[in-house]
Amino acid sequence: MSLFGRAVLLLAFALAIYAIVAALGSRRPGRRAWMASAERAVHAVTALTTLAIGGMWVALLTDDFSLRNVAEYTSSTLGAQYKFTALWAGQAGSLLLWMWMFSVFASATLLLNRRRNRELMPVVVATLMVIAVFFLTLLSFVTSPFETLAAVPQEGRGLNPQLQNAYMQIHPPVLYVGYVGLAIPFAFAIAALVTRRLDTAWITSVRRWTIFSWLFLGAGILLGAKWAYETLGWGGYWAWDPVENAAFMPWLVATAFLHSVMVQERRGMLKVWNMVLVVLTFTLCLFGTFLTRSGIVESVHAFGESTLGPFFLGFIVLVAAVSFGLIISRLDDLRSQHSLESYVSREAIFLFNNLLLLALAFAVFWGTMFPVLTEVVRGERIVVGQGFYNQVAAPIGIALLVLTGIGPLIAWRKASPAQLRRRFTAPLLATGVAAVPLFVLTDLSEQPVAGFTILAGVFVAACIAGEFWRGTGVRHAAGGVSWPGALFSMIARNRRRYGGYLVHIGVVVLFIGFAGSKGFTTEADRQVARGETVEVAGYAFTNLGVARHETEHVTTTEVRVAVRRDGDRVATLAPGIQQFAVEDVRGSQVAIHSTPRRDLYLVATRIEPSGAALLSIYVNPLVMWIWIAGFIITGGGLVAAWPARALPRAARAAEPVAGTARARA
Amino acid sequence: MSGTVAAVLLAVLAGAGAVLAVGWPLLRREDTERRRALEEEAAAVDRAGALDEAIERSLASIREIEADHRAGHLSDEDHAELDRLERARAAVLIRRRDESRG
Repeated sequence: MSLFGRAVLLLAFALAIYAIVAALGSRRPGRRAWMASAERAVHAVTALTTLAIGGMWVALLTDDFSLRNVAEYTSSTLGAQYKFTALWAGQAGSLLLWMWMFSVFASATLLLNRRRNRELMPVVVATLMVIAVFFLTLLSFVTSPFETLAAVPQEGRGLNPQLQNAYMQIHPPVLYVGYVGLAIPFAFAIAALVTRRLDTAWITSVRRWTIFSWLFLGAGILLGAKWAYETLGWGGYWAWDPVENAAFMPWLVATAFLHSVMVQERRGMLKVWNMVLVVLTFTLCLFGTFLTRSGIVESVHAFGESTLGPFFLGFIVLVAAVSFGLIISRLDDLRSQHSLESYVSREAIFLFNNLLLLALAFAVFWGTMFPVLTEVVRGERIVVGQGFYNQVAAPIGIALLVLTGIGPLIAWRKASPAQLRRRFTAPLLATGVAAVPLFVLTDLSEQPVAGFTILAGVFVAACIAGEFWRGTGVRHAAGGVSWPGALFSMIARNRRRYGGYLVHIGVVVLFIGFAGSKGFTTEADRQVARGETVEVAGYAFTNLGVARHETEHVTTTEVRVAVRRDGDRVATLAPGIQQFAVEDVRGSQVAIHSTPRRDLYLVATRIEPSGAALLSIYVNPLVMWIWIAGFIITGGGLVAAWPARALPRAARAAEPVAGTARARA
Repeated sequence: MSGTVAAVLLAVLAGAGAVLAVGWPLLRREDTERRRALEEEAAAVDRAGALDEAIERSLASIREIEADHRAGHLSDEDHAELDRLERARAAVLIRRRDESRG
């Protein structure tokens, strides 16, 4: 299998280089056949990478311990589903997955553009294949997944128990789809710069790719948070870990791009800015991959020390230098068609939103790299704590949330005071009305950040509800359709706009989840003897006794805990301590009882032979809404990205184009 | 040993298949006239496709401008100006498409 795998990866490497040469050569007149050949070379790279990953999966499933990648991450007793997902447990295997997904995306891009963007496609192919050559170089010459061991062991070392989790099976591939997908907008941007086709056509071509990749990156981040919450046992879901930050930064910049691109489409402005955002997003994707693999930062998510760091760093510098060099050389062609006329306009709000998103991305970058910089400059690693991130992220996050509500309600070019009054009176009244009970009847006044977040959420929800109400009303009045019919037809005909609003609703729900879980968590460590009851945050926790389970892989000692509130039974939870056979690793079996109001989160830190247990008890309000928000955001994103049905010619004529027909006459 | 031979054979087969598939467009013998005709035809199809897409984009913009105006996000003057510009653009594109299709 080693020989086969190495051979097909080398072939893919050679064909990727050929594709670059053929694609660029095809730009000369009379060489159309070269482009056809280059396209076939891209598909061949995909086919060969598919053979390589298929070979690796066969090796994993058949316990071929002659391969290091199999021997180090599986064992013969490991379940088939974990053998399958052990592919991305290690450095080389996950790079192979990255490359395979990337090649599939490259092929899909070619198929979707068979009759479009002829002028751009040769450079798109060349750019994508340069990226492919980089990854195939690593896979062929630096860290081969098909590396063999000198002595073949009888048994593998097994999979890290923390990775034997459903979320860890799905989280990395989902995240990778986001990372590799963002290479497509980058390739189109480079093609637009090289060919000087800098109108909005390239942006239209990549809009869906960007939304799709952005959705997957966001879903991957949330799945990682859910994994951390349910597996690591520290009561939280986000710790500003360097690798979490590595995925968060490109997501922030891609979010900025998705907004600013609308300004270019509508007003012909921010062309340079959009180019910079696309390049920055992809560079940060590479930077994230570098952080995870270089070993320069310490993280529960990172692979160990490796030799890949300098290669990634070199490639990042190359990508950034070429891209920004191209942007600078095309500055004249990228000049805006209009200028900002008023700071109270939709384009200005988008610009503020972009600046805040980039400020947050920079703060996260600074915090992530600070330990590395201090080590280089002062010789000691100074780690930035969560406090720094929270202090920066909270005000920026609330400001972004408020802009989420304001942006869609403000007119393009310039909003008049009368328009502002009409649009914002109702949302401000709704916020004011909500503020009274929220601050008087709850503890919100003790947590001003959480309080402002929830009020901002109410304001944004009111703004979006108003938009739906007005749009549906107009459609209902004009078409004589029922209210639900008007709502659905309005969304169907303006998917991008209303899909975006649904995403904004998801963001509101997400922030409410953050506010509740960050601002009002109760945490307590309690020693509980068998039969004893302790009280935390109004809940009574009773130790019912200890049980022990043993399987081939893990021995679990768990304590059964009955939870009651006001005498009523709430749940019986079983936090435990796990001792895994693999490398004698110890882990926590976290017990969670979730409701929309709060999560009860129990971790057993110590269980004594007497049956007494030291419990870490967390009452985390509103956490469930964070996961629900993930679904709402994904749903909204899919609505926004869903292709509109092409209108039949006759229907088109009946649309506003009637006026266009007049213009033609 | 047989496994190694099979692996080598499979890799050689995959490589030969890939090289043949990639080289085929360059190996096909087409006389210059025919190739030029095919290229011109493909270029015409590309231009028509690009025009169709540009028209779709322009019509979508007109609908968006209309929706923005109805929702009160564009003043009457801004709406009139943006609408006039976009309709003029769409008209030019449609005329160009009609001319190219004879």
